[in-house]
Amino acid sequence: MLKIELSEKNPIRLLKSDAQGKTDALRMGLVMARAGLGKTAILVQIALDSLLNDKQVIHVSIGQSLDKTKLWYDDMFKDIAKACNLENVNETYMEIMRNRMIMTFNESDFSRARLEERLTDLIQQNVIKPSCIVVDGFDFAGADHQMLADLREMMESLGVQGWFSATCHRDDERVSKAGVPAPCHEVDDLFDIIVLLKPISGKECLSLNLLKAASGVSGKQLQLDPGSLMVRENC
Amino acid sequence: MKDLNKVRNIGISAHIDSGKTTLTERILFYTQRIHAIHEVRGKDGVGAKMDSMELEKERGITIASAATYCDWKGHAINIIDTPGHVDFTIEVERALRVLDGAVLILCSVGGVQSQSITVNRQMTRYRVPRLAFINKCDRTGANPEKIIGQLRDKLSLNAVAIQVPIGLEAEMEGVVDLVKMKAVYFEGPNGDTIREADIPANLKDECDAKREELLDAASMFSDDLMEAILEGEPTEEMIMDAIRKGTLALELTPVLVGTAYKNKGVQSLLDAVNNYLPCPTDVENVALDLDKNEEEHKVTNNGSDPLIALAFKLEDGRYGQLTYVRTYQGTIKKGDAIVNTRTGKKVKVGRLVRMHSDEMEDIEETGSGDIVALFGVDCASGDTFTDGKNNFSMSSMHIPEPVISLSITPVDNKAQVNMSKALNRFTKEDPTFKTFVDAETNETIISGMGELHLEVYIERMKREYAAEVEVGAPQVAYRETITQRAEFNYSHKKQTGGSGQFGRVAGYMEPFEDGDYEFVDSIVGGSIPREFISSCDKGFQKSLAKGSQIGSPVTGVRCVINDGAAHAVDSSDVAFQLAAVGAFKEGFAKAKPVILEPIMKVAVEVPTEFQGAVMGSLNQRRGMIVGTSEEDNYTVVEAEVPLSEMFGYSTDLRSQTQGKAEFTMEFATYRQVPKSVAEELVAKAQKKDKK
Repeated sequence: MLKIELSEKNPIRLLKSDAQGKTDALRMGLVMARAGLGKTAILVQIALDSLLNDKQVIHVSIGQSLDKTKLWYDDMFKDIAKACNLENVNETYMEIMRNRMIMTFNESDFSRARLEERLTDLIQQNVIKPSCIVVDGFDFAGADHQMLADLREMMESLGVQGWFSATCHRDDERVSKAGVPAPCHEVDDLFDIIVLLKPISGKECLSLNLLKAASGVSGKQLQLDPGSLMVRENC
Repeated sequence: MKDLNKVRNIGISAHIDSGKTTLTERILFYTQRIHAIHEVRGKDGVGAKMDSMELEKERGITIASAATYCDWKGHAINIIDTPGHVDFTIEVERALRVLDGAVLILCSVGGVQSQSITVNRQMTRYRVPRLAFINKCDRTGANPEKIIGQLRDKLSLNAVAIQVPIGLEAEMEGVVDLVKMKAVYFEGPNGDTIREADIPANLKDECDAKREELLDAASMFSDDLMEAILEGEPTEEMIMDAIRKGTLALELTPVLVGTAYKNKGVQSLLDAVNNYLPCPTDVENVALDLDKNEEEHKVTNNGSDPLIALAFKLEDGRYGQLTYVRTYQGTIKKGDAIVNTRTGKKVKVGRLVRMHSDEMEDIEETGSGDIVALFGVDCASGDTFTDGKNNFSMSSMHIPEPVISLSITPVDNKAQVNMSKALNRFTKEDPTFKTFVDAETNETIISGMGELHLEVYIERMKREYAAEVEVGAPQVAYRETITQRAEFNYSHKKQTGGSGQFGRVAGYMEPFEDGDYEFVDSIVGGSIPREFISSCDKGFQKSLAKGSQIGSPVTGVRCVINDGAAHAVDSSDVAFQLAAVGAFKEGFAKAKPVILEPIMKVAVEVPTEFQGAVMGSLNQRRGMIVGTSEEDNYTVVEAEVPLSEMFGYSTDLRSQTQGKAEFTMEFATYRQVPKSVAEELVAKAQKKDKK
């Protein structure tokens, strides 16, 4: 399979764009799940989809090391390449990884101002011009509505699509009107799409439940294979 | 004979400038091996004991590791001081191979840096249990808590504090021992008077919380401790026993704090070495029985069993050739005849010494598990010695291939003679340093692991051997490989008087990912007679030395022969070798050959305001930015950059960052060069050939 076919067939695209393949309607997306279910794997697949479309991506990793984050990409790419029998694997890998940059922050050091300063610097120096930013490990419990609104504003001003991950807890029963669980129940208005990863009873797979979807985003049910951590249309 | 439970073979490894040589100096002082303290860059001009090479004293860095030993509270401790720069990593690797435990030194301000990550990876590779010592707590900005976090996050160690500092920066007074729950002060002009006292009231809560953390972590390794915690107050012995178990299992890293320069915390570190690091019998080492198809043999550490010893370092100093050995079982006595497994040669142990940096002490006998040096024994680094009754070899050491080379030309005849002597010694001592004479240009080429690695040897040639040389531009070790399968069918015919030559070799070549080269014989029906099959292999191997694109060695090729022809009279070994060379050339040209170049993993630590500029410049050098990590006002930029683009980088970096950035680099992998660069290289090679 060639790179172009791979990106066209990627099921994750159903989350990122509308029926016409446009991504403009979607500024911020959120992937929620309990700890250890595969949020990072989904964010990495979202990023890989952009990379396979020759777009640049910044992966912001809060509280995780650079090596670990890189390993996620290496492993997921290897799995995808193997599953799809991709031609020119090494070449494609080099080509797309040139368009990815990982930025790691300590939890206590991360702020919108700091991220914006770094991004602006990199864009001005022509190092990278991302079209997608994934933010893994953001502390929603410690953030307020204003902070998220600021981040959304920043994504808008940079013209990028932003994807976040958030961990929800079984014992926290707070939910928003739209059914978005804590700790994101008070900021759900800021996201255009919210996906909740949930086990399917009697099945090993997890479903990607769309709690909120931007207009035009396909409502098609996606699933996550817990073995390979790959998103599929049918597990 | 020594009680092996009271022997510790330890290494001291860390990032450059984290103060490990200063720490070693203090250890030697407190264990009364030396009677005065000399600083690394001290005004007294003596230099630290372990930095015995003149160049080391001048640059303030340790280049060759020196071995020393000391006694602390009834324990014999052998210490190998290891270099901090990545270019000298082979020294670190060799030391780790023979050591049972290690102390990882970190600066309380700089914390975990890229070299610490490399060293930690090596320690993990050789399964070396370790302690961490957060040094330089007297420096402005010292933050041991942050460093413990980095040990967990960046090195994935289960790091747990067993001490809390009493004061930091200029106010550091001592440490609180969380096992004994006592404050420890280091008093007197050299910190040699130890006073124990109650924990200062202002630290009581912090220490209670930290002890809780320590007990939580340690109790994972001892049910007794777990029970004792539930029932009441556990004993010191129980806690220490659990910490030791966790450390030996490589699942716990006890963290100590101090400042060697200000003489605080060093004696506690020595106590921890005795208490928590393994003795030789705690570590499982395996030898390979060469008589039994390399069957693994667990060494016994028993002094009365047949000898197994590993030569891990050679030095050709003022006392003649010194060979550092570690005995794994059996004993070596002065006058013994021991056998080098690799060469089968029997050698006599004339003198047996215990090394203390560049001084030594004659001994009569060494027991199992010890590290000593032998005199006048001819061997290579990595050789195994036995008493001749067995044919054991310790597993081979991981030795990286050199990635950079440059030509050197002696300025006169005297320099020529001295240069040969120097090169002979250096190549014996350091397996990552290689030398050869280029058959075409007749130049002497030296190759090694980085610019600094070669620079140091050139400098040593000049200083120690008075060999003045002119140095050529550095050359990158390119490789060639193929990217697709291609058939070959080549006949070699020669009929120009005398006996003729004939051989036909047919088959295919294809990319081979698991190694440099593989030869597969798929001939059926005897189209190539048996006696000429190995000739084909030889011919292919000859072809690997020089690829057709730029004349670099060829790697990653599997050659399969499946057909051919021979002549009853004219076929010979030479004819088939030449046929294989022709076949290789034919196949190689059709197999889409490419040029590979060494890619270095580069980590630049830079004040955050310069990170954009640094990334821009790495990009310009064809670098692939992997990412950045933020640490206070510093950013570490990690990138993969072709070695050929890294020459002169330190100068560029200095000017870009007002001298505020540091960088390290190590070999990562070989990767295909971009088309434009390949074309340039090919054109350059063709130009050189025409000359």
